[in-house]
Amino acid sequence: MSWLASFWVVLSKELHEGLRDRKALLTALFFPALGPVLVVVMLFLVSDSSRQADEKGVEIPVAGRENAPNLVALLEQGARVVDAPADPVEAVRRGDVPVVIVIPPDFAEKLRAGQPAPVRLILDESRHQSKPATATAERLLEAWSRQLGAQRLIVRGIHPAVVEPLAVEREDVSTPASRAAMLLATIPFFLVMAMFTGGMPIAIDVTAGERERQSLEPLFAAPVPRSSLALAKIVASGVFGTATLGETLIGFGIVPLVVPATRIGFSVQLDPAMLFTTFLLCLPIVLVAAALMVVFAARARTFRAAQTSISLLMLVPSLPGMALAFQSARPPPSLYAVPFLGQQMIVNELVRGTPIVTSQALVATGASLVAALVVCAFAVRTFERGQPLFDA
Amino acid sequence: MIRLEGVSKSFGSVHALDGISFAVPDAQITGLLGPNGAGKTTALRVVYGVLRPDSGIASVDGIDLSADRLAAQRRLGVFPHAQGLYARLTAREHILYFGRMHGLSGDVLRRRADELVAALGMEDIADRKTEGFSQGQRVKVALARSLVHDPRNVVLDEPTNGLDVAATRQVRTLLRQLREQGRCILFSSHVMQEVSALCDRVVVIARGTVVAEGTPDDLRRQTGRESLEDAFVAAIGSEEGLA
Repeated sequence: MSWLASFWVVLSKELHEGLRDRKALLTALFFPALGPVLVVVMLFLVSDSSRQADEKGVEIPVAGRENAPNLVALLEQGARVVDAPADPVEAVRRGDVPVVIVIPPDFAEKLRAGQPAPVRLILDESRHQSKPATATAERLLEAWSRQLGAQRLIVRGIHPAVVEPLAVEREDVSTPASRAAMLLATIPFFLVMAMFTGGMPIAIDVTAGERERQSLEPLFAAPVPRSSLALAKIVASGVFGTATLGETLIGFGIVPLVVPATRIGFSVQLDPAMLFTTFLLCLPIVLVAAALMVVFAARARTFRAAQTSISLLMLVPSLPGMALAFQSARPPPSLYAVPFLGQQMIVNELVRGTPIVTSQALVATGASLVAALVVCAFAVRTFERGQPLFDA
Repeated sequence: MIRLEGVSKSFGSVHALDGISFAVPDAQITGLLGPNGAGKTTALRVVYGVLRPDSGIASVDGIDLSADRLAAQRRLGVFPHAQGLYARLTAREHILYFGRMHGLSGDVLRRRADELVAALGMEDIADRKTEGFSQGQRVKVALARSLVHDPRNVVLDEPTNGLDVAATRQVRTLLRQLREQGRCILFSSHVMQEVSALCDRVVVIARGTVVAEGTPDDLRRQTGRESLEDAFVAAIGSEEGLA
C-alpha cells in the first residue's frame, strides 16, 4: 500500500471519528460566533455613545444663567444648556455632571465696567468621559470672550485680527470611525483563536487521547508509515481548524449586514472577496497551528496536560494580533515573515480597506509554509521515535 | 515463522531484553512463559515492530523488521499488550479500519469482516459503538481487527487476561483453529495452565533471556521434574511472579 493510501485511510478514519465527537463539533460550530457577536455588540455600543455626543450635543449645566443672558445664548448655539445642580462642586466631584459653568451675580456689573468678568468652570480632569463636555464648555467660553473682545476693539477702531496672530482650525479625525476600526482590528486575533480552538479537540484526541485509551499501540503495530500517521492526524486537526476559521470569517461577513455603515460612520471592508482572500492567506498558518498542537499533545504526559499546554500555546501567536489593535505605528516589513503575526498584520490592513500588497502576502505565506514544514517534520520525528506511545 | 536473534533492549539502566534468541515455527502454538517483568511484552513489542531493539535481529518470515518494518508487519496479526478501542467507532468499523491499513478494500474487506463477526460470535455487537463494551467484547473486537488481513503469523500478548471462563475457552478454540490452518502462533502468558493446555512449544524467559525451551515434555525431561509446574520453577529459578 502506498504512503498516500495509508495517509488517506488514517485521515478519513480520524475525520469520521471527529464528526462523531460532540465536543469537537460543538467547538467547531459555536466558537466562530464568538468574535463576530462581540464585535457587533461593541460596534453598537461605540456608535451609540458617539452618536449621542454628535447629535444631541453636549449638555452643559450652568448656574446663574439669569446673570448673563447673552453668554447663555451663545452657549446654546454649541451645547444644550441645563440648570446646574444645587452643589456644583460636589456634583462634578461625584461625576453626576461632567462640568458646571457658574456665572456669579457681579458678572454683568464687571462686564459693563470693562473689567474681566468672572466665570467659574468646575471640572474634574481625572474623568476621561467628561473630556468632550469640558472641552466644549472651554471652547464656547473662549469664543464668547473673543467675540466680545473683538467688538470692543472695533469700537476703539482697531481691527480684531491684530490681536489674533494665529488662526487655529481644529479637525478631529478620531471619532467614531477609527474607534470602530480599532474594534475591527481584533478580527485577526479571533481568526487565530478560531484555527487553534477548532482543531484542538481533534489534535488532542488523536494523540494524548489515543494513548490514554491505549489504542495507539495497535495502531503502531499496523503496517503504515509513522510519517503518514503523524501527517494524517495533523491534517485531520487542520480540517477542523479550517472549518472553524471559515465559519468565523462568514460570521464577520455578516457584521456589516447587521451594523449599517451609516451607523458606524464608515464602510467596513468585510465583503466576500476580502474574506476569501483572508481565508486563503490563513491556510498555511492553520497547518502550522495543527502541527504545533499535535506535537504538543503527543509529547504531553496526559490528556489534561495536553489541554493545558495547548491553551497556553495558542495565546502566543494570537496576542500579537491583539496588540496590533492598539498601536498605530507602521510595523517593520521584516515582521511579515513571522508566522501568524504577518498574516494578522495583512488582515488588519485588509479590514481597513487597504488593498493587499502582493510582496507582503508572498513573504508571509512563504515563511509560514516553511514553518509548517519544520513543525510537521518535528511531528513525524516524534512519531517515528514512538514517543506518543512510550514517553507517557 | 518468527525469529529473534540476540535481541537486547534497555530502558535507561534496566535491561529488559538481554540477548534473547528463539524461533517460532509455523503450524504450532508457541507459548512465551515467564514471570511478570521477565521481558515478555518487550520481546513481543520488538516482534510486532513498535519497539526498535538496541541490538540483534527480529524477523518475520525471514523479513528483518529493522530493514522493512511494514513488510514484516503485513505478515503479522497483532493482539498487543494495550488493546484500546475507539469509543466512537463500532466493532465492525474497527475491523474495517485495520483491514484498510493492511491494504484491503471493497467487497473483499466487507466479506472478511462478515466472516470474522460470524467466527467470533459478534453478530449482536458488530454495529454498536464500542463505548461500554465488556472486557470479553473488547477482546473479541481486538482479535477480529488483528486477524482481518488473514495473517500467516499471529502474536498475542496475554490474550486471556481478564476474561471469564467461557470467553477464555473461546479464545483457546480460536488459537487451535489458527494452528490447524498452518499459522505461526506466538502468545505470552504468565498462567501455566493455559500454556500447558495449549502449547506445542514453550519458551521460558526470565530476566530478559531464554532459560528453557522445547515441548512441555522436553521441559519435563530437561529439568527432571514430574509436573510442568515444577519444571517451570526449576527453569526460572524461583516461584516469583508465576500463577
